[in-house]
Amino acid sequence: MRMLQEVLKDWEAVIGLEIHAELTTLETKMFCGCKLEFGASPNTHTCPVCLGLPGALPVPNRAAIESIVLAGLATNCDIEKRSMFYRKNYMYPDMSKNFQTTQGPIAFCMRGHLDLAVDGAAAKERIDLPEAVQDGGYTAHIGITRIHMEEDAGKMNHVGGSEGRIAGATHSMIDYNRCGTPLIELVTEPDLRTPEEARLFMQKLRQIYLALGISDCSMEEGSLRCDGNVSLRRRGEKRMGTKTELKNMNSFKNLHDGLAFEICRQAEVLEEGGIIYQETRHWDPSAKRTLVMRVKETADDYRLFPEPDLAPYDLTDEFIESVRKKLPELPDEKAGRFESSFGLSSYDARHLVENGSVAEFFDKAMALAEGGAPDALAGEGATAAGGAEPLGVAGHAPAAPGAAASLAKPLANLLINDLTAYLNAHDGLELAQTFLTPARALDLVRLTDTGAISSKQAKEVFAAVLEEDRDPAAIVAQRGMEQVSDLGAIEAAVDRVLAENHDEVALYLGGKVQLFGFFVGQCMKATAGQGNPKMINEILKKKLGQPSA
Amino acid sequence: MSVQAKESPFMNVAQIQAGLAAKSFSAHEVAAATLARIAAIDPSIHAFLEVTEQLAFEQAARIDAAIACGRLDECGPLAGAPMAFKDNMNQKGTHTTCSSRMLENYLSPYDATCVAKAIAAGAIPMGKLNMDEFAFGSSTETSCFGPTRNPWDLGRVPGGSSGGSAAAVAAGMVPLALGSDTGGSIRQPGSFCGVVAVKPSYGVVSRYGVVAFGSSLDQVGPFARSVEDAARALNAISGHDPLDCTSQHVTTDFTANLSEGVKGTRIGIVPAFMGAQGLESEVREKVEEAALLLEAAGAHIVEVDLPHAAAAMSAYYVLGPCEAFSNLARFDSVRYGYCDPGHKDLGTQYEASRAQGFGPEARRRIMLGSYLLSAGVYDTYYYPAQQVRTLITQDYTQAFRNVDCILTPVAPRTAFKFGEISDPTSMYLSDMFTISINIAGNGGMSLPVGSGVQTGLPVGVQLIAPQFKDENMLRVAAALEAVLGKAAVAPAFAEGDAL
Repeated sequence: MRMLQEVLKDWEAVIGLEIHAELTTLETKMFCGCKLEFGASPNTHTCPVCLGLPGALPVPNRAAIESIVLAGLATNCDIEKRSMFYRKNYMYPDMSKNFQTTQGPIAFCMRGHLDLAVDGAAAKERIDLPEAVQDGGYTAHIGITRIHMEEDAGKMNHVGGSEGRIAGATHSMIDYNRCGTPLIELVTEPDLRTPEEARLFMQKLRQIYLALGISDCSMEEGSLRCDGNVSLRRRGEKRMGTKTELKNMNSFKNLHDGLAFEICRQAEVLEEGGIIYQETRHWDPSAKRTLVMRVKETADDYRLFPEPDLAPYDLTDEFIESVRKKLPELPDEKAGRFESSFGLSSYDARHLVENGSVAEFFDKAMALAEGGAPDALAGEGATAAGGAEPLGVAGHAPAAPGAAASLAKPLANLLINDLTAYLNAHDGLELAQTFLTPARALDLVRLTDTGAISSKQAKEVFAAVLEEDRDPAAIVAQRGMEQVSDLGAIEAAVDRVLAENHDEVALYLGGKVQLFGFFVGQCMKATAGQGNPKMINEILKKKLGQPSA
Repeated sequence: MSVQAKESPFMNVAQIQAGLAAKSFSAHEVAAATLARIAAIDPSIHAFLEVTEQLAFEQAARIDAAIACGRLDECGPLAGAPMAFKDNMNQKGTHTTCSSRMLENYLSPYDATCVAKAIAAGAIPMGKLNMDEFAFGSSTETSCFGPTRNPWDLGRVPGGSSGGSAAAVAAGMVPLALGSDTGGSIRQPGSFCGVVAVKPSYGVVSRYGVVAFGSSLDQVGPFARSVEDAARALNAISGHDPLDCTSQHVTTDFTANLSEGVKGTRIGIVPAFMGAQGLESEVREKVEEAALLLEAAGAHIVEVDLPHAAAAMSAYYVLGPCEAFSNLARFDSVRYGYCDPGHKDLGTQYEASRAQGFGPEARRRIMLGSYLLSAGVYDTYYYPAQQVRTLITQDYTQAFRNVDCILTPVAPRTAFKFGEISDPTSMYLSDMFTISINIAGNGGMSLPVGSGVQTGLPVGVQLIAPQFKDENMLRVAAALEAVLGKAAVAPAFAEGDAL
């Protein structure tokens, strides 16, 4: 099989995503009062409604409707004031009523979009674009067809076969705790062209949902799930090819790699004169390939019809506006504010908001830098649930350029580079689990900025702060790392070095300017390695005088 | 047991409560007399599928305890009144079979709201009543446990699907019963058995816990031998239920205006119904007599037109089966219900269990609904049926601009013999005058107005109310009842001692 980059030269990939998010932050299920709890003993959170007992009726969860409207507003969707629930009829034991309550042609949220900033390595997959664009990055406009509300099925546990798969199983056990969990399904237009774009879309949507506080978005536990539809067509062709549906892409890496494999596989089949069957395929990350799950010969007939137990759901303007007021500052807005208020580059700002808790941390540290009390921001999780005013809108005038703003860039670097590297190295560790606080991060950046410690020392102090629960200043003092920035002490050291090295001074003044480094080294030695290099440089230059040309 | 207690099965609710208040008999004695009456009579009628002796005595004990403390008036409007429930209503601790092999051994783990409300209002729960399987039928002949016989003529059907409810009240076994009505299933058996039978407007009574047939059409209502008892029962079971979001905030006291008479009220007659093909003359005559009686009592009789009502039957046999197909999908042999064991895969277990668990009429409606909802067919049937529904609803809205109540036949004829109608489409015509009311969501009731001149069997007239103005039809019914007398216990079971 050819590599993705090669394949994409000849073929255009057309990708659409269907993304399910469980509204895990709600208290109760979609149509009954049962508690939502991941990992509870099987069938302990059930009632006549979610067990589909004869005579039971659904009652919609208003908080879930609020969540989906939040999701729609945050993804630029039109909110439909009158939408209906439908019954999707199919028989399978995990769906206790043997129909799933979902929505019909009109969902709560329709016709939205997200714009993706694609740059760096991600932009390189778009080999159809001019090289300058690939290098500089581009914006991908991804249409969102709809976001609709539905309920999740129960969980089947197949026993006796291999790896819990149904093949070879002797019997199956069903846990209805998950049955009736509120789900929102977002369907994109087939606007994505590369696995990187798909990955970025998924990441961005996850950031938004997390900012909204509507789901914990755990891909591992399945509260955020993604299916991909992918087809190929020759470059320049308008007609759509036959698509396959890809499942089990339960991480960003799997989403990218699964799509990349499937694109290459389809290209190989087509190039060998074969045909693509409309089928559902399973991505196997360990074998690094996709396998057929089932072939769809004809479209499934779900006999969709309006759910007669639920009246059409009318959303009033007041309701929609009340939800709009609860919208928190979204990642894009936050990044924009970081650029305009703190002078960060768009790249830094974008990466800073990728992780909501890091962005919040940055905000708190900057508030401290500006002399504000970080407490004013404390507990503001910036989620809709908190109902707080969006950060940066209330009480945060753009920072006065100067001392505080000059700390923004190094602070951002610390968080984007050093912190991310540390967290990645400690498998899944969260910022909140370290001993780093906004005040400590700010102190550390200040120590470096004033030249009290070198950037190399700063890295050492940073690592220590994360693990030792002590302030940077205390670590610096304990380890004797403070740079000597006392003008008198440094001048004395420089004088001593120059006095002890007459020959070298003569050579330097005679034009051997490379010797400057030698003097610096000697001065550092004379200050036991703690002299402020910047000051040593300046004083040396002054005292040595101009070498002859 | 006192002599008076033995008479209690013939009493109405007010008489029972007067007896309890005067301590002529206890609630326990009422329950015991009712159980004895059921034991003596029901073998020849087969209205009951289950008699809940223990639950009856428990409730009677609660009421007797309250009476002992002088608090009978706190026991609720149905205190001490025996009541039985159609077997599609969940009642904790009872079987809820829907007269189907599919649910033969199904034990309810919870109470339907209407059952819970009736019991909270003081009714003594006597048992569960026979019906057409899953309410599919108009004769109670599709019950997998055998039919119920009409107390007026044991060779004839009691109507259906709530045939057990109508027969139990008509035979004087209980003064009150609950039934459900999707296309006529309360009113038609009410007419066949000569009892008061009320289908309220859609949303007046919660459907929670009533096994669904057609969710947008189903409505629960009471059977009684007097309009007042029916109104009392409706008071007890009506109102908004947080567990049924189609239930409405109804706070009407349905007994309030029963004695107001009909002077000045406007009552509509539908000429197309009176001239309908298949309407027996003995039934038409009774409706005309009722109109004359109402006119004599001061009502204005006005002709009204329901131009789209003729399409109601067609719309009903699209919408009903579609909803039933989906509602009955849960009976799949996996979690509960009939299971044909020994299959190697799920598909064949589903097929065999459902083929054997459901009777022919249930299978017919499931297959019909499955077909009507399938891709390519949906737009031809389901969508137009919904449009017809809108038109019929508009017809009634328009008609009720001019009248307070509409008077029509209930069924085209009186009770027929067992096996007399075997063709399903002929059977469906039993509901020709009742179905449009379910389609529109209005209230409708059957009031017994005497016997047909040809057959000598009970005939009911249908009174139709504007949506959520169910008190209108009850008031007109009470005025007719005042002239004609209260519904009688079927003669064969009314002679001499109640036992």
